[in-house]
Amino acid sequence: MFKTKKRLSLLLVLSLMISLLAACGGGTASNSPGSQGAEKSANGEGGAAEPKLEKVKLSWYLVGDAHKDQSKIVAEWNKMLERDLNTTVDLKFTTWNDWKTKYNLLLTSGEKIDMIFASSWADFYKLSKQGAFLDLKDLLPEYAPTTWGNVPEEDWDSVTVGGGIYAVPNTNPEYTPLGYVYREDWRKEFGLPEFTDLDSIEAYLDAVKTQKKVIPINGAAYENVNSLYKFWNDFQLIGGDVIGATSYDNPRDIQILPYTEEFEAWVKRMKTWEQKGYWNKNALSSNQEAGDFIKTGQGAIYWRNPSSAGGFINEVKAKNLNMEIGFFPFTRFHNYVIPTLPSSNAMAIPKSSANPERSLMVLDKLRNDPEYFNLMTYGIEGTHWAKGEDDKTILIPAPGVNLDETPRYSITSWGWRYEPNMKNEKGGWDGLDALKEEFSPISKPDIFGPIYLDYAPVKAELAAVNQVFEQYGKPLMLGLTSDVDASLQTYRDKLKTAGVDKLLEYIQEEANKYFDEKGIQ
Amino acid sequence: MSEKRGFLKEFNKNRTLFLMIAPTLLYFIIFSYIPMIGVYYAFTNFNFDGGLFGSEFVGFKNFEFLYKSGILWNLTKNTVLYNLAFLIIGNILQIVSAIFLAQLASKFFKKTAQSLMFLPYFLSWVLVGAFVFNMFSDLGVVNTMLKQFGLQPYDFYLNPAPWKYIIVFFNVWKGIGYGTIIYLAAIMGISDELYEAAKIDGANVFQQIRSITLPLLKPTFILLILFSLGGILKGQFDLFYQIIGNNGLLYDATDIIDTYVFRSLTVNFDIGMGTAAGLYQSFFGFVLIMTVNYIIKKTREEYALF
Repeated sequence: MFKTKKRLSLLLVLSLMISLLAACGGGTASNSPGSQGAEKSANGEGGAAEPKLEKVKLSWYLVGDAHKDQSKIVAEWNKMLERDLNTTVDLKFTTWNDWKTKYNLLLTSGEKIDMIFASSWADFYKLSKQGAFLDLKDLLPEYAPTTWGNVPEEDWDSVTVGGGIYAVPNTNPEYTPLGYVYREDWRKEFGLPEFTDLDSIEAYLDAVKTQKKVIPINGAAYENVNSLYKFWNDFQLIGGDVIGATSYDNPRDIQILPYTEEFEAWVKRMKTWEQKGYWNKNALSSNQEAGDFIKTGQGAIYWRNPSSAGGFINEVKAKNLNMEIGFFPFTRFHNYVIPTLPSSNAMAIPKSSANPERSLMVLDKLRNDPEYFNLMTYGIEGTHWAKGEDDKTILIPAPGVNLDETPRYSITSWGWRYEPNMKNEKGGWDGLDALKEEFSPISKPDIFGPIYLDYAPVKAELAAVNQVFEQYGKPLMLGLTSDVDASLQTYRDKLKTAGVDKLLEYIQEEANKYFDEKGIQ
Repeated sequence: MSEKRGFLKEFNKNRTLFLMIAPTLLYFIIFSYIPMIGVYYAFTNFNFDGGLFGSEFVGFKNFEFLYKSGILWNLTKNTVLYNLAFLIIGNILQIVSAIFLAQLASKFFKKTAQSLMFLPYFLSWVLVGAFVFNMFSDLGVVNTMLKQFGLQPYDFYLNPAPWKYIIVFFNVWKGIGYGTIIYLAAIMGISDELYEAAKIDGANVFQQIRSITLPLLKPTFILLILFSLGGILKGQFDLFYQIIGNNGLLYDATDIIDTYVFRSLTVNFDIGMGTAAGLYQSFFGFVLIMTVNYIIKKTREEYALF
């Protein structure tokens, strides 16, 4: 008896210890291809032959946050879907907070999902290669014929991995280079010239700091400085934050960037910026966005791409904040711009989906039927927007609607955007059109984005290098270390120990493979 | 054979008892033992088609990232030392406050004090992280006060040194109410006769505490320590993540295995590597608890866990 009791308590302790580990390793995804295939064909025949579809409930996931009125909008959408396709969709969101972790977990946990946002910046290529998504090649012509027809050939190419089409890219060619939104009224007040280079930006930061006594890059500063660094030096980062080509014109000159002289000069300059107080000493720990400080008059600069800059400026206008905001795209440093890859905004069907056919039918409707498109992209007419003078123009906010009570509707609709259905906002920021005109003559193709990297042979090195970058690279970039020379040396040494050379070799090899294939020198 | 007969006999004799423990056993089998198969992920290169057993076997390759950057030793050291500090300082303070509370005569004060001490236990680390940021940031409470007194402000977020103490302080502060109640319960369980006898013998309060309360708290103390030791390589992720976040400047003194693994895997999500890290922690926790229990068993058998 005593012995048994002891054994039981041993068992108990063991299980307690192991339960945590189990939580990590658990969740065996049960996606046997056999059973799914059977389901598919059964469903497929039913869908294609019968005019009356059987009732199906789908589960869709988007990254980012839901809108306050999301349930109302989805209810509206479901009414239409039930009418046309006898389907309802449960639309879920990851929220922006830790979205990437959640996104990965959703795919690995085997949760039944019928459609999910996919993107090159959400590991689309890696996940496709690992088999997370369903190959849509054979389904598309049958279940999404309109989309199959109106997505250009080369866009399908960009979502093709190893011969299979793993996502439906959006069709909305855009330029999304980064830049700064800034207090234009202050620049005029200081009598400073428009931004053209680093010196003019520094002069502005200095004036904000000394004359307005405001910290120009308030809150979380890292991305604000990092994006400037990349564009000013014309560094084309490939896979991560450490390795890249030294300029667009020398794509094959791929180096470990922290080892370059440009990097050294940059971090030394950033140290002087930090000393002059252009950002806070707790800039790495702060969770507040620099843009939120601009709105309260406590900041001056914030990194954005043109369309999010437009959103920012429109919001400032709509809230009648007493300030003028300008936008400076970093493309003006080197006078060229790279268009966004079609694969950076797409919708994909995870392998776990029970109804891929129906899900594609819904997507086909959503992209191409203006009624669906308007509802899910712009919200309910009369509440979130109103018709403008022509079909291409909308009013936000709708007349009589207060933006503080009903904020503008902007969920991650990027995955299904279809240019002919897109609308312009009346009275919105006109800079966007001007930028489009500025960009089209200086556009150069993206020759770095499609380089395919899955890091399989250098996984350990990648993880280690990223750690070193987080621990030593980021503080250095913001000039937060006391002795720049010493910490630069440490950073370089630590990168070496972490195996950055092996990573470089791998990236060079893959990049050259791609350049050879495309004939890029 | 004889053992089996022994077990059957045992089973027949205590059928009701076995029935009563069955749900617990079942619970652990379903939620702890069966999922343990997932440990195998640590040795595979995961892909969605293969799943658990169909993925390619890669041996110990997934463990490489742990020591590749050469900081595994520093991480393990940090994790163990922090947990030891939490354990020792936490338990001592909990015992001290339990004894104080037990000696208090005013019931009202006792209850109030207990509640106030217990309150932080219910706060989430997210909130505590926000407190900490507002206390120690450039314009935080501490620096504002320093400036008021005409002193030089201190850049907490640039120096790792003070964070060891800040983290230990907040962890102890948060856990003290909970531990105190456990020890208080143990003290309440000590028979009054012992104290009365001591009083008759002329022992003062301090002598009573030293010779009666403390020795009788020892089994509880050892049990709690033993339970905590298994998790000594598992850091309190939320505590460190919420308080330190992405500030690389502080990592030397504040990075633990859990935060390191989290950062590695958010950049390059990989089930195999994540499981490998979990296995490393669990394995050493297992070895540690077995060793300590063995030592205790050799010296004072009655206190051993099993």
